Amino acid sequence: MPLLGTLVLLFLVLMLGVGTGVIPGIVIWIGGVLLANIAIVRFVVAATAVLLFTIPTAFVIIFLELKVIAFMNLRIGPNRVGPWGTLASVVHGLKVLSKEDFTPTGADVTVFTLAPVVTFVGSVMAFMVLPFGPGLFGVDFNVGLLYFFGVGGLGVVGLLMAGWSSFNKYSLLGGLRSAAQMVSYEIPLTLSVVGVIMLAGTMSLNGIVQAQSGSFLDWFVVRQPLAFLVFFIAATAEANRTPFDLTEADSEIVAGFATEYSGMRFGFFFFAEYVNVFLLSGLAVVLFFGGWTAPVPWPWPVHVLLAPGELGLALLALVIVVPVVGSALFALPLWMLRSEWPFWRAWILGLGLFSALAVGALGIYLLINLDALLGIVWFFAKAYVFVFTFVWMRATLPRVRIDQLMGLAWKWLLPAALVNLFLTALAILVVHP
Amino acid sequence: MSFVPGIGIVKGMALTLRRFFEPKVTVQYPEQVPEIPPRHRGRLQLLYDEYGALKCETCFQCAMACPIECIDMGGTDTKDRFHVHWGAAEQYAERREEQALRRSGRPVPDPNFAAFDRADTTRLDALLEQEEHDPRRLLPILEGTQEIYGYIPVAAVKHISTATGIWYAEVYGTASFYGQLRLELPAAHRLGICRCPSCSLFGGGAVRAAFEDELGVPLGGTTPDGSVALATDDCHGENAGTPWVTLDGRPQRDMTAAGAVRLAQSLAGHAPAGRA
Amino acid sequence: MATRIPSLDDPRVLVSTPATIYDAIPPYAPRTEREAEFYGLRDGEMLVNMGPQHPSTHGVLRLVVKIDGERVVDLDPVLGYLHRGIEKLSENADYHHAICYTDPLEYVSSLFNELAPVMAFEQLLDLRVPRRAEYIRVLSCELNRIASHALFIGWMALDLGGITPILYSFIERDEIVEMLAALTGQRMLFNYMRIGGVNGDLNHEFLSRLGDWMGHALAQVEADTALLNQNEIFVRRTRGLGRMDRQTAIGFGMSGPNIRACGVPYDVRRAHPYSVYPELEFEIPTREEGDSYARYLLRIDEIKQSIHIIDQVLHRMPDGPVMAQLPRRITPRPGRAWAAVESPRGQYGCFAISDGTDQPYRFRIHDPSFVNLQAVVPLMPGNLLADTMAVMASLDPVMGGIDK
Repeated sequence: MPLLGTLVLLFLVLMLGVGTGVIPGIVIWIGGVLLANIAIVRFVVAATAVLLFTIPTAFVIIFLELKVIAFMNLRIGPNRVGPWGTLASVVHGLKVLSKEDFTPTGADVTVFTLAPVVTFVGSVMAFMVLPFGPGLFGVDFNVGLLYFFGVGGLGVVGLLMAGWSSFNKYSLLGGLRSAAQMVSYEIPLTLSVVGVIMLAGTMSLNGIVQAQSGSFLDWFVVRQPLAFLVFFIAATAEANRTPFDLTEADSEIVAGFATEYSGMRFGFFFFAEYVNVFLLSGLAVVLFFGGWTAPVPWPWPVHVLLAPGELGLALLALVIVVPVVGSALFALPLWMLRSEWPFWRAWILGLGLFSALAVGALGIYLLINLDALLGIVWFFAKAYVFVFTFVWMRATLPRVRIDQLMGLAWKWLLPAALVNLFLTALAILVVHP
Repeated sequence: MSFVPGIGIVKGMALTLRRFFEPKVTVQYPEQVPEIPPRHRGRLQLLYDEYGALKCETCFQCAMACPIECIDMGGTDTKDRFHVHWGAAEQYAERREEQALRRSGRPVPDPNFAAFDRADTTRLDALLEQEEHDPRRLLPILEGTQEIYGYIPVAAVKHISTATGIWYAEVYGTASFYGQLRLELPAAHRLGICRCPSCSLFGGGAVRAAFEDELGVPLGGTTPDGSVALATDDCHGENAGTPWVTLDGRPQRDMTAAGAVRLAQSLAGHAPAGRA
Repeated sequence: MATRIPSLDDPRVLVSTPATIYDAIPPYAPRTEREAEFYGLRDGEMLVNMGPQHPSTHGVLRLVVKIDGERVVDLDPVLGYLHRGIEKLSENADYHHAICYTDPLEYVSSLFNELAPVMAFEQLLDLRVPRRAEYIRVLSCELNRIASHALFIGWMALDLGGITPILYSFIERDEIVEMLAALTGQRMLFNYMRIGGVNGDLNHEFLSRLGDWMGHALAQVEADTALLNQNEIFVRRTRGLGRMDRQTAIGFGMSGPNIRACGVPYDVRRAHPYSVYPELEFEIPTREEGDSYARYLLRIDEIKQSIHIIDQVLHRMPDGPVMAQLPRRITPRPGRAWAAVESPRGQYGCFAISDGTDQPYRFRIHDPSFVNLQAVVPLMPGNLLADTMAVMASLDPVMGGIDK
């Protein structure tokens, strides 16, 4: 009863505010600030949106990994915690949050605490330049790819910090192994994309995607198959995925650099790893498979929906403000009419109704401007094919040894990347003198 | 060492991809229960024959065969039935150990309370013999016990439990559930007062207060010397202008507060039969 | 060894603690030459404790590994974390009861654990086992061998990082173990062998499951090993690793697939035949290389041989009782008896001494894993830390038998 009274009061205040023009004034002012072309505002909004985006991504990839590996093992993965086990990631997240968070004796506390943060931030920052659709990206640097690889190197620092500060020989071994691995594989990774840069003429990721627009024959994988192969193997090593997951080889050095981590700190590391997986899949898609372009030319005209850099505002609004307010608006009459229902049930139903309405409205709107939606769909579909491939490889392959790993990087991938670079340059000289 | 990706990895990945689509071997317990072979020894239970009788004869063969001596057994013969407790010896011994008695639901003899536990059980034994120690006839047994003693003393409850094998808690629970079974000696006189609204309108409250003050006990209590029990009567709907008051079941007409005081004073001092 | 290591109860420890006290170096002076050699660390070496709780040590085994960077210099296995005193317990039990204690020794292949003591006791009693019982023993033992080798394949892949083959192994093993449950009553610690025979005859449930399984057994083995046999990563990791030559192997007294992979065709079923193996035709697979890959391939060959043996046994099964007539309390003649069987890990033997009473006087188990584990010490130095697990997995030790 008191809740009902408060809600009625709020509703009356809202009506009063709207009626006298006070609330619309505030909303317009906030909107004005957010839409203003002030760099700091755009940055904050985009950063928040990107951070919020990483959480569902990691959840989806964790769930995918559990289920896909289970299916390949001829068993069903989690299927009880939600419909078809979809809440399993949430349960994992809660489990990680509820564990005891300790610091081992003798550990360097500052470094120990900062290591997961550094690793995580390194992965998340790279999302800012990844284009999800036509016009849907955080920032469009003209050296976007350089920024991407630069920021990706932060992950190495984080792992080293973790390995050293844990005061544990296993962690030290794991940290050093991982540092060696990631540093060695960054070189073939970056060299293999130089061919793409030469073909596209720009380091901006948006530019690279637009250079592949057309049909799937324009995708760079057709023109740079060797580069793609080198890139894919190097990406697997960068993401610390099997067969290159020595850093977390749990049959040898328990958990490598993360042996002494528990609770949310450990969660951060593995969060960062899954985000990294998606990131590298996204990058592979953008660089070699056309990003958000469709395999065949689309009959509808493609034009940019939002002004460049508006990703942040749209996502923020879509994700936070509107659903909450909308579901409350829909839930209120339901709750008042069916008073035997608990409030949360009405809220959920309100959310469902609102979401249906919102999706319907958005769908109708986007049918007129279909390209953005289609772009997002293609991008995610292609990226998740790669994520599936990463998980598939984890299910099938055993691990390589550290010396075999280093041999592969320096003796095979690096020369292959250099050969590819040489051949691409030669081809460009011959075809476009 | 060199590492060249080749056909082996591809074949392996093709195998896992094929298995991705094959039917899964998980048995979803508890919706699907795997078939347990008839010889399965994983679940220990005593078997019953087709007439519902326990097959165990307490022949001790299983106890002899057990290499870690975790089986012990005992039986109580209560009219052709054995109660077998098998399991770890320290849990299920029929050795009258306290823990064993408690776990098997029997009362534990405590020497500190031996003085209060005495009751003459000859007539009770005869009653039990007549009822053939049958647990299904617990209610007639308890009613017979009440006829013998006037109420059901705790000693009798313990004796019934020991003699019939019914758990002490069950006997006690049955005895305390039914209204006609008393676990305490009744008082000499019972004053019943109705508390319905129409009786209260006609001065029932004053009458009740007078009784309570005079006897010194609240409604529902008994005076310390056991002479008077003050209880609530059900509404009869026929007060005819006066509150409903009964003495030992006989209605007392035209009761007033002053009359209540006189009645209470007349009853005080009557000791009930059977109290020492 | 000049560092004085303070007691950890000393409150001053928390204030000024040299990092060396967390080493695996014990705080007393070395008592033997081997200890002096092992705990004397040169510059750059460190001792890593792959402790009793480890995801890959096949049980509770503690390995103190001296590494120089990533390379293993020396290795010291510490046993005893699973010691349950089975031999001593058996001395206080009847002969019949002692059989129950032998099951959890090498819990993966329980029937062999029971078979050797039973055979030793039968020697002491001069008892002749009915032929049907012998055939049933061979049948169930070969099934257990296949189950154990299937688990080995999965375990080896798991230690190398592949998480799928172990689940395929468990699917195979589940079928076999359900079959054995239909026959013996339990899925793992079977308690099926009795002095004088076996506990129960073959029943319809078991035979129908066995028939179904035999129909696809070979194909299933081929399919499940296709994931690993040609896998380049697996081959490059295991080929040439832990290469053991004949002399070293014979010197250690190794037996079973480990020594047959070195080229020594020693199989207890042919060298000291027991039960009805002389009447059965089977080959002894042998390989020459002696490395981990050879040991892995050899066990797959053994699975195929076992299927062949089961086939023959089913065709030759005679009629008759499955257990000899024995009194409840048996008192064998005073004396000694030795019986050895070929378990999936090697020669498993039991040496029983009887003093004429109804309890054995001494009941000594010769366990193959205990002997095979010694080989880890000379095989490891020179390899990388990651290979420790690969080598140990290929030797297939089971800690239950090692620690008894």
